[in-house]
Amino acid sequence: MADKEPVVDRPEASHEEDDASAAAAAGEEEDTGAQVAPIVRLEEVAVTTGEEDEDVLLDMKAKLYRFDKDGNQWKERGTGTVKLLKHKETGKVRLVMRQAKTLKICANHLVASTTKMQEHAGSDKSCVWHAADFADGELKEEMFAIRFGSVENCKKFKDLIEEIAEALTKDEGKESDDTTTGLLEKLTVSENKSEAESAESAKEKESEADATPSE
Amino acid sequence: MALPNQQVVDYPSFKLVIVGDGGTGKTTFVKRHLTGEFEKKYEPTIGVEVHPLDFSTNCGKIRFYCWDTAGQEKFGGLRDGYYIHGQCAIIMFDVTSRLTYKNVPTWHRDLCRVCENIPIVLCGNKVDVKNRQVKAKQVTFHRKKNLQYYEISAKSNYNFEKPFLYLARKLAGDPNLHFVEAVALKPPEVQIDMAMQQQHEAELAAAAAQPLPDDDDDLIE
Repeated sequence: MADKEPVVDRPEASHEEDDASAAAAAGEEEDTGAQVAPIVRLEEVAVTTGEEDEDVLLDMKAKLYRFDKDGNQWKERGTGTVKLLKHKETGKVRLVMRQAKTLKICANHLVASTTKMQEHAGSDKSCVWHAADFADGELKEEMFAIRFGSVENCKKFKDLIEEIAEALTKDEGKESDDTTTGLLEKLTVSENKSEAESAESAKEKESEADATPSE
Repeated sequence: MALPNQQVVDYPSFKLVIVGDGGTGKTTFVKRHLTGEFEKKYEPTIGVEVHPLDFSTNCGKIRFYCWDTAGQEKFGGLRDGYYIHGQCAIIMFDVTSRLTYKNVPTWHRDLCRVCENIPIVLCGNKVDVKNRQVKAKQVTFHRKKNLQYYEISAKSNYNFEKPFLYLARKLAGDPNLHFVEAVALKPPEVQIDMAMQQQHEAELAAAAAQPLPDDDDDLIE
């Protein structure tokens, strides 16, 4: 099976195909390996993604880079899916990106009022930002660049992050005016916003599905 | 199988030995999994470098300690010493270089002298390159010696997870083992003052002027 697959210039399979090929791999792939005795016994465990209490505001395929300051160059971090996730109770929004196939985490950080998206000089499908990232379970100052398949997707991503950051800035302003009422208002605002945004993201998903040509 | 200076983890870990001729892409392959980067520059590995690689599976987290060994004879170092207690292995060759495939039997023999009956994956790397010298159907060694074979590309990520998946399944004796989403922990809140913010933005503006490597959009669409 593996022998016959066209391998030259093969684009990354889409997410849907990934699932299909992973499932097929278990059954169809020829195993020419020797019979060896297993050396561990592993029990199936309940899988948690850590995203259970969050709503998906955005979910798109992208390629992520991190800036290597020592080498003064961008380096690939991963190709996969980037998500903006809003916590159902706190209303906090974070960005989580996972590598395709291994599903490892390439980026994981909150969107803050200080999160500022900048354009990338060389590509209108890309933007850059700074974050204190928690992908490896420890905070690291990182500069990220992300590249999407289209200008539209990049704009959607950038606009949504800017919108979230602006809303946070406003909330922070209110809080410093009057902490108690500020907090109360924040709660109401985030409630309403959560509804509006999930409706919006649902719409976005629809239009994205329409726009994506089947491969 | 951790080295003295490496933290011991409370989940299953395996020593994985990676061998093959110099320049076939062993280090690039490991780095790709480690940080996501694709290093084009060739710097021969001296002796051995050990990197822990974690995967989340439906049977919990597992770790491979990847012993990325020098392919070049003159940088070989301990050799047999690196193979001791190896629990699984990858033999890498470069499909654009016939010689690296011709040398596979030697790597296999040396490995098997020290490590008996371990699961081994043969990897033909660089299948993204147009001018292949070793065609898929010319690769027959794995059938003779009962190895698993994968064509991979560290550059395009083609099949890049397969060797680890195969080895994990064999080591656990579970053909249904698969990778699952790693837990995305809650990131802590971070306070940023104005001065820091300004510094970040200045650094970012400079970074934004640097080109992104390889603008091949087919990877995303």
